Amino acid sequence: MQTTNTSVIARRVKISDDYATLPYEAGWANEAVTFVQAEGDHPDLAIAVEVSPDGINWIRRTGGTLAASQQIVDLPLAQFGNWLRVVITGATSEQPARVLVHLNLKG
Amino acid sequence: MQKFLSYDRGLERFNPLARVICYDDFDTGFNGWLDLTPNYVEENYESFDSVIDLSSWAPNQLSSAAMRFASSHGSMEGTYSLKLTTAPTGGPHTEPPRNGSMGHAIKRLSRFGNPKLIQIESWYSYTPVQDREGKGEEDIRAIGFFFDVQDSEYRYMPGVRYVNSLGGKLVKKWQYYQVADGVTPEDWNFGVKDGWCVPGVDNQWYGRRFEDGSGDGYQWLPGGEQDLVFNESPDKINWMYFRLTVDIEKREYVELQSGDQVFDMRGIKPTLTEGYASIDNLINPIFFIETDTDRSVNLYLDSVVYSVE
Repeated sequence: MQTTNTSVIARRVKISDDYATLPYEAGWANEAVTFVQAEGDHPDLAIAVEVSPDGINWIRRTGGTLAASQQIVDLPLAQFGNWLRVVITGATSEQPARVLVHLNLKG
Repeated sequence: MQKFLSYDRGLERFNPLARVICYDDFDTGFNGWLDLTPNYVEENYESFDSVIDLSSWAPNQLSSAAMRFASSHGSMEGTYSLKLTTAPTGGPHTEPPRNGSMGHAIKRLSRFGNPKLIQIESWYSYTPVQDREGKGEEDIRAIGFFFDVQDSEYRYMPGVRYVNSLGGKLVKKWQYYQVADGVTPEDWNFGVKDGWCVPGVDNQWYGRRFEDGSGDGYQWLPGGEQDLVFNESPDKINWMYFRLTVDIEKREYVELQSGDQVFDMRGIKPTLTEGYASIDNLINPIFFIETDTDRSVNLYLDSVVYSVE
């Protein structure tokens, strides 16, 4: 039977600038799905999932958009090695956002 | 029924009490250890008012202890350990913990078998992330462990904290959880009147902190100086042994063992508080780590054994 786990890697964080989650080790998993939710009003948000050899230097792997009209978006990822993080851009002090990021891993 | 018990060889490096309740080797998953979060039970799923953002603690991970210039350390025996991490948000040690500046892992349990003693053991290691030059030892403020216990009368939190460094200066001394005399609820909640938390509960983030590293919730352990192993680079780790035994019949500490050093804690008591509703017979073990600077720090638990007698 596979192992599955869901971590909340950003927990209702209020953002008003470019934002990145902390480096996360996920090497035990074969697949990952990131869910990004916004609570309340928010501008269009660009979402990217990044991978890394060391948790310090990052490469952009996949991306998507959480439009102002949407509440939630999902981004699947495979063959990501060990480290990953989620980068969210588009929030400003004039148009902030409150975000919740779930990371589901399976392997 | 006659029982024959055969222990896993991995238990050879532990000294469990008579009955092992949990032997958690993180090669097999998170084993029920999870992030520590507040109670989202108010309007719009908000939590109660607090100076501390209790929702900000970083997510726990299954780690292969992969380092920047070294390779993966794996765990002491196997590939994965449980990693507690922090955000790079450490502030002055005299202030309340800043958002994300601590990492916690909790396992939610209850009493079983009416034991007299409870004990936690772990093989662990710690290091900062290698995001800058230097040795890095001085950027780890503290690591710690406590039990959250409630019996039919009291809630109390017996725990210990290794103060590694304060303001960039190495300290390397153990403390234990006990509230100093005269601490008021307002002191404990950093000035919030009618704060949710009472003195003696959640010492890891409540209670005022003072320049010398003491605090409302922490007392220095007599003879508690100890030079733990920090290797010569932030990307090298060594596994160390930890054990805390508590007498829950007498509601007092028994022993702290760190490496081969044993600290007799008989006669020392944690602070007893009035029981909370609906959590009779609760026993939660909790590990934590704190950063001293604008740098993420990590605590790795190879495996954890919880036993009773």
